[in-house]
Amino acid sequence: MYRTLDDIFKTIKTDGQKKKLVVAAAQDDHVLDAVFRAYDKGVVEPVLVGNTEEIKKIASHEGYDLTGISIVHEADPVSAAVTSVKMIHDGEGDILMKGMVDSSSFLRPILSRKFNLRQSDTLSHVGIIELPHYHKVFALTDGALNIAPDLDMKIAIVKNAVFLMRKLGIEMPKVAALGAFELVHQKMQATMDAALLSKMAQRGQIRNCVIEGPMSFDNAVYKQSAEYKGLDNGVGGDADILLSPNIEAANVLYKSIVYFAGANPACVILGASVPAVLTSRTDSEDVKLNSIMLAASVDFDK
Amino acid sequence: MLRTIADIGKKLEKRKQKVTLVATAVQDENVLKAVLEARDRDVVDILLIGNEQKIRQMAETSGADLSGISIINEEDNYKAGIDSVKLVHDNRAHILMNGQENYHGYAVLGRAVIDREYGIRRGQRISHFALFELESYHKLIGITDCVMNVNPDLKTKAAIISNAVFFMRVLGVENPKVAVLAAVEVVNESMPVTMEAAMLSKMAQRGQIKNCTVEGPLAFDNAISKEHAIHKGIVNDVSGDPDILLAPDVETAGMIYQSFVFFSKAKVASLALGATVPIVLTSKLDSHETRVNSILLAASLYA
Repeated sequence: MYRTLDDIFKTIKTDGQKKKLVVAAAQDDHVLDAVFRAYDKGVVEPVLVGNTEEIKKIASHEGYDLTGISIVHEADPVSAAVTSVKMIHDGEGDILMKGMVDSSSFLRPILSRKFNLRQSDTLSHVGIIELPHYHKVFALTDGALNIAPDLDMKIAIVKNAVFLMRKLGIEMPKVAALGAFELVHQKMQATMDAALLSKMAQRGQIRNCVIEGPMSFDNAVYKQSAEYKGLDNGVGGDADILLSPNIEAANVLYKSIVYFAGANPACVILGASVPAVLTSRTDSEDVKLNSIMLAASVDFDK
Repeated sequence: MLRTIADIGKKLEKRKQKVTLVATAVQDENVLKAVLEARDRDVVDILLIGNEQKIRQMAETSGADLSGISIINEEDNYKAGIDSVKLVHDNRAHILMNGQENYHGYAVLGRAVIDREYGIRRGQRISHFALFELESYHKLIGITDCVMNVNPDLKTKAAIISNAVFFMRVLGVENPKVAVLAAVEVVNESMPVTMEAAMLSKMAQRGQIKNCTVEGPLAFDNAISKEHAIHKGIVNDVSGDPDILLAPDVETAGMIYQSFVFFSKAKVASLALGATVPIVLTSKLDSHETRVNSILLAASLYA
């Protein structure tokens, strides 16, 4: 169990072979800022794929030292994404990161059969969050990729998150499948899906985790609230993973945690053979750095 | 724990209150024979409603003695139904029995039971419940619903469970164990029955269905055999020990019922539940013993 993100990052080995971070269309000042902060900390070895001229321009303007950093010239952002994914496929990189390329062009080659990076039925987004009011870091999914996941997609999203948490050393992560309340209601699909997921985990159809649901947000993260509702299930108040019923709930929850509670989560895209970092320009510098650090903390192939 | 139907009979010996059974629209000789035996064995007092002339004819042909038995003459079946429901309403009758063993009879009585003015509905649904004594099972086990709810949806299934649980609790099973049957024990999206079973299980956990433990989906074998459940890696309190089997639909329930009767030579007593009083609803296929046992079971609710 990790209390803070720093506790996770302490596990990164800074001596010897560093993780190779392949940045697709690296000519992006915000992304390069985060990449160089991670590089300076000694946690990754960047490989910049993109427009060499523009990358050098940003570097000289911001004072980044490009000595010893490999740059692969690929002026077209879409081609840069393809080249980056091919490098991962060829074993020349350990982490993917999105630069100055739109998200769908970045994700398309990851999903392409040609490069065989896909490990899961669905790619999904996970935010790992540290808050002073919760006793450990927890995962929130999926506030970015899957809009209105059906049961099958929710299963894949849970599996992805469980995979990551297990990589972080939590053997049997506790998953709360969120609904507006804790009862099964025929007019609220989220509550029915949650009940099904819960049973599927019980039946071993979703392995290596405990799933409890439907749970309201407070039941999931606040023990007294769970007890008050008579939810004596081991997950209430101690969830490792919060599964949102849809993108809106997760996205709003994520942003309220960031903007009102001042958190700086670490986010990765899961479902491929390597972690992918996809940050948005509105993410803080810390979120971008934390996301790279999180990706560098896990070994997907072990 | 009740092991046999005879145990229910024993329970009856200790009762304080004598109860009256009203048999409505009596047209079947089988029904007449059963209620008379129940009366003779001092299980219930009886009251007959129907075509008095026909009832007396039937008694004469079969050599039954009707002396001392009140008969209310009502030739219209629906009115007979309403009359008996009124008697229940006025607390003059405590068990309702259908006098004609055919679909028309069930329908007419059903309409009277849920009549807006005189109806005696208690639960959200009226459902059928059959209690079996099997040599190969360690206690009495209920099957529901073999007759009334043909293709129940989630809400109806919850109501059917509630009726069965209410009944088992009256029989003294404090927290009945309910197995929700399906073809397999895993959740499968192309089998809606398995999804409903999972939801019912969760609804009981959340207290939306009270006073019972519901486990599902379970295949028949891992419902009744703990060993099979363990073999499948399913750990739960219900497997191997259910008090109630909830079938996914009337066909499945009916086939379980009939296979118990024909292949396992089981003893059975069955009732319609969900009204303020138990309703004895027998079928032409039932044996005389089953009819009498069903009356016995209804009376035992007052013991």
